Amino acid sequence: MSNSVVVCTWERGRAGVPAGAEETLTLARKLAAAAGLELNWLVAGPAPDRALEIAGKYGVAHLDRIEDVKLADFQPDVCVEALAQYSKQQAPRLMVIPQTFNARLVAPRLAARAGAGVVMNALKLEVEGSAVKVTASAYGGDTRVVYEVTGAESCVVGVLADMLLAEAPEGGASAPAERQVSVDLSAVAERVRVIQKAHFEGPRLEEAQIIVAGGMGLGQKENYHLIEDLAQTLGGMAAASRPVVENGWVDSSRQVGLTGKITRPGLYIAAGISGASQHMVGCSAAKTLVAINRDSNAAVFRYARYGIVGNCLEVLPELIRAVKAR
Amino acid sequence: MKIVVCVKEVLDPDAVDNYVLVGKLEIGQDGKTLTQTSIPRLMNGYDEQAIECALRLRDAGVDCKIHVVSVGTDPTKILQHAVAIGADEVATIPVDTGTVDGYATAALLAGFVKSLGRADLVLCGRQASDGDQGVVPALLGEMLGMPIVTIARAVEMVDGSTVRVTRVTPDGDEIVEVSCPAVITISNELGEPRYPTGMRTMKARKVKPQQVTPAGLDLGESGARPRVTMTRQFVEAIIGRCEFIQGDSPAAAAQELVKRLRADRTIE
Repeated sequence: MSNSVVVCTWERGRAGVPAGAEETLTLARKLAAAAGLELNWLVAGPAPDRALEIAGKYGVAHLDRIEDVKLADFQPDVCVEALAQYSKQQAPRLMVIPQTFNARLVAPRLAARAGAGVVMNALKLEVEGSAVKVTASAYGGDTRVVYEVTGAESCVVGVLADMLLAEAPEGGASAPAERQVSVDLSAVAERVRVIQKAHFEGPRLEEAQIIVAGGMGLGQKENYHLIEDLAQTLGGMAAASRPVVENGWVDSSRQVGLTGKITRPGLYIAAGISGASQHMVGCSAAKTLVAINRDSNAAVFRYARYGIVGNCLEVLPELIRAVKAR
Repeated sequence: MKIVVCVKEVLDPDAVDNYVLVGKLEIGQDGKTLTQTSIPRLMNGYDEQAIECALRLRDAGVDCKIHVVSVGTDPTKILQHAVAIGADEVATIPVDTGTVDGYATAALLAGFVKSLGRADLVLCGRQASDGDQGVVPALLGEMLGMPIVTIARAVEMVDGSTVRVTRVTPDGDEIVEVSCPAVITISNELGEPRYPTGMRTMKARKVKPQQVTPAGLDLGESGARPRVTMTRQFVEAIIGRCEFIQGDSPAAAAQELVKRLRADRTIE
């Protein structure tokens, strides 16, 4: 096995840079430095914007590129095959992947191909003696679990990049060498046929600067418009907790939390939300969190910067009024 | 056709959440096991929905036999529940889930599926609500050489050998088709699983799951050896710094909050 930690990405992302790449490089760089491993970045498919510059910022030794027409758009079988061949050639100690929707499928498949271990939802990577330890979220964010990578195999790690901060090291910059890695994807044919693509237009919760989210404290579906009204007044987006979605009050695209959207807005207003961990995973990275809840002991206040103890049905209309009055 | 559904017994995640919220979750002397016996043990919710998915295929006229399998030392109760709602055969691989990782679990399940001779569909919950890892289905699919479709809200047979799956993606629903055999993971968007009748529950209590020992399974070259080991579990302390906005009325509190947010330049 080689002595490398490799960050793997294959999508350019909506911003031209793979979502979570910098946060993942941050985590991988710290581990590489602590464990005396080489840090590399594998880009499968189209190159991200400023890839060399970003790689250099995080002290990446090699920017490995796999170029193949089949990698132009994400195709799971092709992607897994490309990464598996890379893994076989380079035998990295660790393959670290920003945990996007597609990565949740790719990471464990890659692990199976490589006979490697796999840990998802990672928040921290450490080395203790010769052992790599991965701290991951469990029980919907209620607990943290530490996994030790045992055995000689490599390990694939999915990182909850949305919950982490990108932090380039001071004085740790490098001049990465670009390497072309050749793999043979000619035999791969996708086994899953896409009949109808998912299509989404318009603003995304993940990118919203202001989010107003409603929970069961709203009482009934008819009151959800208060959330939409306040969101609109603030120029933000409306969101919801899981129970609200499960009750059919709003569409699941509005769900914030571990199995919904993970957001990091400037302002997140949680109204009538108790603060279940699985929800807070999706909003605790907000710069300012405001909680409105009748129960002053509600868990949501522990995460909040500002809190109002009160009935959200009474407070929300007043908030709308106060924002409008200026 | 033969449908295999993989299920796991978990601690009730809502009960765990409640204990965490009041700061009273207990972790055992080993530093990793949740020890409160007052926390109910039940079938992982997503797995129950995977069984529901199989039952809906049967309701839609698919002639199928539904096998439900679980890795765990005593999943008898959840397997009896599976029978009560309509499973045909139930089996357990008696291995302590605390001693295996996703890789080893998938290897055991792959060995079980192979022992059935053939499976047309393998259905799993999208993840288990305890570890949240969600890696077993994809590992299992690779080990069996089957294609994998994740996060389904609906599954239907197009013809005898093709399934159409509606996936919940961050960009909305995606519809895909795949030939059997395939592994499909089910998400909560599938909807509520059915309840068993009292009569069926009573009858199912007499069912004894088939015991399948790992020694009797084809576990492939590398066997069911874990690659990662859980060494510790803890609750992360949250440093509360909430400033409660006071006010004689909701209007006064709202005005004060807006004033603060404007002063912080959080809003315009």
